[in-house]
Amino acid sequence: VGQLKLEDGPGFPESELLPAIVKSSDDAIVGATTSGLITTWNPAAENIYGYRAAEIIGQPLTILCSAELAGEIGETLSKIGHGERVVHRETVRRRKDGTTFTVSVTASPIHDRDGRLIGVSAISRDITEQQARAAAELRRRADDLERANQSVESFTYSIAHDLRAPLRALGGYSSALMEDCADDLGEAGRGYAGRILAASQKMSALVDGLLVLSRIARAGMHLEWVDLGAEVARIAADLQGGEPERRVHFVVERPVQARADRALIRTVLQNLLENAWKFTSGQQDALIEFGTVPAGEAGVCCYLRDDGVGFEPAYAGKLFQPFQQLHPASDFPGTGIGLASIKQIVERHRGRAWAEAAVGEGATFYFTLDAEEIA
Amino acid sequence: MMTRSILLVEDNPDDEMLTLRALKKNNILNAITVAHDGAEALELVFATASGREPLPGLILLDLKLPKIDGLEVLRRLRADERTRIIPVVVLTGSKLEEDILAGYRGGANAYVRKPVNFAEFAEAVKTLGLFWLILNEPVPEFMAQPD
Repeated sequence: VGQLKLEDGPGFPESELLPAIVKSSDDAIVGATTSGLITTWNPAAENIYGYRAAEIIGQPLTILCSAELAGEIGETLSKIGHGERVVHRETVRRRKDGTTFTVSVTASPIHDRDGRLIGVSAISRDITEQQARAAAELRRRADDLERANQSVESFTYSIAHDLRAPLRALGGYSSALMEDCADDLGEAGRGYAGRILAASQKMSALVDGLLVLSRIARAGMHLEWVDLGAEVARIAADLQGGEPERRVHFVVERPVQARADRALIRTVLQNLLENAWKFTSGQQDALIEFGTVPAGEAGVCCYLRDDGVGFEPAYAGKLFQPFQQLHPASDFPGTGIGLASIKQIVERHRGRAWAEAAVGEGATFYFTLDAEEIA
Repeated sequence: MMTRSILLVEDNPDDEMLTLRALKKNNILNAITVAHDGAEALELVFATASGREPLPGLILLDLKLPKIDGLEVLRRLRADERTRIIPVVVLTGSKLEEDILAGYRGGANAYVRKPVNFAEFAEAVKTLGLFWLILNEPVPEFMAQPD
């Protein structure tokens, strides 16, 4: 086999060449009548199915599969009757000894010289091994992923623990300096120590922010129906309770039902509302609105609008990156992690987050959620 | 009645010094013993437990320790009849460690997040009903000598 001389030497006449190719194939090549009676049976078919040609020719194709799959063969025959082919259909076949295996089958009509349908050819390949290889590959990738997750886990722990220890020393000793050695330090010295303290606190907050982000990325999702409007109303009441002297009018659409992880979506709403609350702090009478707009393809599209300081629209794209702050920290304190967490959470719900604004005209933050079918 | 001593288990010298400073600055004048790893802490406690000396009135326990880690120290303290009742306040370096600890059902009485400031420490002591620990008149020879 495999050494057929196609051009020179004594060679094969074409009439012998084709049968030789069929004979040499590793794939089972089976011919059948249009009604599905087996007419041709190559050596590979003998190997794969365990039937000798002599015992199977004349038998129906359905002998090669379980009773439940017989209909599938009927379906294939009827397709071929209509001149169609069936290409690389993955299905299960049965050997003579009753064992089953996975095959990929391609079935085509056979026409005579005049184009009349005279039969069916079915080429099937045992793909059990291929599938086992694919499954092994999948397992290997799952293991790799598991290992990668573990290393992220220990990296995160290291950030949380080891990076913080020297920060505590910086903060602790600079406060000690200011408290215990205030006189020796003098005013300038106290100022410097104060700056060291502030910087260590800032870095500590940044480390916390990174941990929050990494936690969100890895948090388990438990989807349920959540009334976002009710959540907004609750957070709004908390904010108002914390600063009762501020006059802020909340307009909240209710209910706004969405499939979401309650804890994560609360983080989104909390961050958005805290932002709106913060950036309207200069307003005599502030207005904060929560509602929905037509969602198009997505499950739901929500917005939170405020009439606060707004921002330069050119920077709208940068907003959602970690540690980006468009306003000086002295005006509006924060670590710049809130919007980055929003983006991450919304994306985990197969949604999108964006913002629209103009300086002095408030800001509107939109997000979509489309988590209906996430397992 | 004599004030009970406090055992601080802390391997980081900066955290040790800052914790001792915070306690001293707030007039907590109990004797404070420092163990620098989990093994030393267990030796100290069990040596006291078998002798006549009173057990520490409170253990401040860091989680990440050389040799034997904090959770294991806690487990062994809780497994022994003589030491299971000693109040243990776990010092955590981060929220993450608090989570790890929460998953561990091994009976810390309270957590204080580092750096240990007096307000948090006082809160933990209050939670544990240990006012007596810090309110009793100190006996001079048991006073802490941190530096």
